[in-house]
Amino acid sequence: MNPTEQTQHTGYPTSKAFCLTSLFWMMIATFMGLLGATELMAPDLLENVGWLVFGRVRPIHINLVLFGFVTPGLLAAAFYYIPRLLRTQLFSEGLGVVTVIIWNITLVGAVVSLMAGYTQGREYAELIWPVDMGVVVVFVLCFINMIMTVKNRGEQVLYVSVWYVCAGIVLTATTFSLGNVIWRPDTGALVGIPDAILLWFYGHNVFGLLLTPLSAGVAYYVIPRAVRVPLYSHTLSLLGFWSLIVVYTHIGTHHLLQVPVPTWLKVISIVDSVAMVIPVMAFLINIWYTAKGKLGAIHADIGAKFVFTGTIMYFFVSIQGSMMALPVVQRITHFNNWVVAHAHVGVLGFAGMIALGGMYYILPKITGRPLYSRLLADLQYWLVLIGVVGFTIVLTIVGLIQGNAWYNGEVVYRVLPQLQYYYVTRAMIGLVIFVAAVLGFYNGIRTMFSNRGTIAS
Amino acid sequence: MKMTPIAIVVGSLLILFAIIIMVVYVPYATYDEARIPSEIFRTRSEIEKEGRQIYISNGCVYCHSQSIRAWDWGLGAERIAQAGDYVADQPILLGSQRTGPDLSQAGGEHPDDWHIAHFMNPRYTRPNSIMPAFAFLGMEKINTLTQYVQSLGMKDADDRMERQRYWKAIAIKAYEAGPDENIRWLNEKIPQGWRDVPNPYPTTSAGLMRGRKIYQDACIGCHGPVGDGMGPAQPWIYPPPLNFTILKNREISGGILYYQIMNGITGTAMPYFKRELESEKIWDVGNYVAVYFINDSDANTEPRGIDAAYEPKSKTPYDGIPEFPIENKADYPSPYGHRE
Repeated sequence: MNPTEQTQHTGYPTSKAFCLTSLFWMMIATFMGLLGATELMAPDLLENVGWLVFGRVRPIHINLVLFGFVTPGLLAAAFYYIPRLLRTQLFSEGLGVVTVIIWNITLVGAVVSLMAGYTQGREYAELIWPVDMGVVVVFVLCFINMIMTVKNRGEQVLYVSVWYVCAGIVLTATTFSLGNVIWRPDTGALVGIPDAILLWFYGHNVFGLLLTPLSAGVAYYVIPRAVRVPLYSHTLSLLGFWSLIVVYTHIGTHHLLQVPVPTWLKVISIVDSVAMVIPVMAFLINIWYTAKGKLGAIHADIGAKFVFTGTIMYFFVSIQGSMMALPVVQRITHFNNWVVAHAHVGVLGFAGMIALGGMYYILPKITGRPLYSRLLADLQYWLVLIGVVGFTIVLTIVGLIQGNAWYNGEVVYRVLPQLQYYYVTRAMIGLVIFVAAVLGFYNGIRTMFSNRGTIAS
Repeated sequence: MKMTPIAIVVGSLLILFAIIIMVVYVPYATYDEARIPSEIFRTRSEIEKEGRQIYISNGCVYCHSQSIRAWDWGLGAERIAQAGDYVADQPILLGSQRTGPDLSQAGGEHPDDWHIAHFMNPRYTRPNSIMPAFAFLGMEKINTLTQYVQSLGMKDADDRMERQRYWKAIAIKAYEAGPDENIRWLNEKIPQGWRDVPNPYPTTSAGLMRGRKIYQDACIGCHGPVGDGMGPAQPWIYPPPLNFTILKNREISGGILYYQIMNGITGTAMPYFKRELESEKIWDVGNYVAVYFINDSDANTEPRGIDAAYEPKSKTPYDGIPEFPIENKADYPSPYGHRE
């Protein structure tokens, strides 16, 4: 079956539904971020609107970015390229669409419950038990769909993107259940210091075992396709894949270096944080050497452009992350906006960029029509890029002001007025990113539903 | 290496389980310090547990850590966190950000009425705060939440609360006995050495400008813009904030103002500022209050020692308000810039 027939035959409804989900929730998620940033700048703006108090807006922003925008965006691409790489059709498009519907119901449940003040109070594990169950169910359904597609494959050799997607989904289902302590529905938590150790084991693996593998999967698919060159090295893929699973899972405790936890556990987390350079560089060297000399082709394809930029962000965020795990660095960077900058480079700059790139890459292919507007997509690219870089600069400065002031004996309250200008700038950059999200949604909708262009060549 | 579906799924799961045992289960099973209560530990009362739930519901943990480190200063820094402090915390609320201060030892730092005013709108007591207002919770929940905050620090917090209650009863009695008795009591509690010390620095326009900045950042919420004790926090605070305008000719020395600002008045909503204001800032804000609200400053009067090197060449004691440089702001840039 040639690709054109396959497109006409299935129409990729699962992939389209994940695209819509991601583009829609990116708007809501970034709006919540903008709202939170505005509240830090003008704390009485929504005085006594309880369901939008900062402490409720922040977890909504974070959960929607993770589970509403980035993960569905990365899965949208996966549900397109997995069947193609395996020379077969998706095991069940019906199951896929049902998965997306449950996914969206879960997201609505997350927003409503968090706004109403129902939370487990643990970062990245805020969602209450019934919503947790929704998340577990959608990951299990995705896994069934993927693994059955693998089973029915027409291509014997499994490409590296397939490894990452299958492993990422099954490992996340496992760590999510463990990290949310789903066997204790009432609190979703352990007691005392072990709760912190478990929480950050899970919290870090949201990035290590979900966003990173799914993003790597997209990059390993899009970049060689866009530059029309085979992947640089199979050996590096193997090294990157296995070392990611081994190393990344050890490092959660670097969030607890300043907390009374066992010293040997801290040592493991620091050593492995530095060792993260192995999976990171194995992946990046592989991608970058594949693209070597072909940057023109990447620039020509908006999807590949997003993805390639995401890999550069991955380089920066990973090197920064390794350094932040060093106790002497962390004495300044912990507990302040430095970490918020780091998180934005990772989730928006790396995984978010790659999610957007994956969707732009597949949209013409799953709709059979060209992208509604390359111009809008380019504009979105620049807005997101300026946004990420702006966030990084502003919040890093804020973090350094806070960290150094505190370390020198200044109390938190006295440093606040110095941060005001930076919070205003940060909120303005948040507006830039929200506008980028709206552009992306509009472009996606027009491409899918009202594109009057000709059939893509 | 041939990557089969089994190799990928089973292989990665096996690795994950091995690591979970290593970095989650082994610490869970072997780290005994996390199970043995520390010497300050006590169990929470029902209302404190309820208050903790309100704290969790409203995401207080995103801006307030409960995790004091060896190199920390400020609120709670007298006690470095130990594993045994957290033995009853489910979930543990270490936090990852300090947009506001660490609260591990917040219990008893202020009396309840300060917290009520602060929850109504944090800018009532702390004008630069960026914390949201929590009046929407309603009085009952605010009271419950306050009970939780007052338990932070456990036995140490209980000691502080006992001290707050003891002095509150006395402070109320003194306040209700009328201004003369109240001021006599306030002055009497200050060590004689401090009462004898006048403000050692001469009154200058620049010093008054600096003092005004400190007053606006730290004092205005309770004592009000004209120093009459009618700031926005006043309705929630009892005994109410002191009215400076009735203090003339009551022998309020610079040393008395300095001591009260430095140490606060436990039992009342007046906090201590020695952790956030350095010496000169306290003298400056004290003189600002003396000059503008009391109209009775002893700055630069005897007894005083050798002039500090930087002091302006001023031989005369305080003899009225120097020209206040409102029209010539540019000549007197605020040391902090942004609020002028």
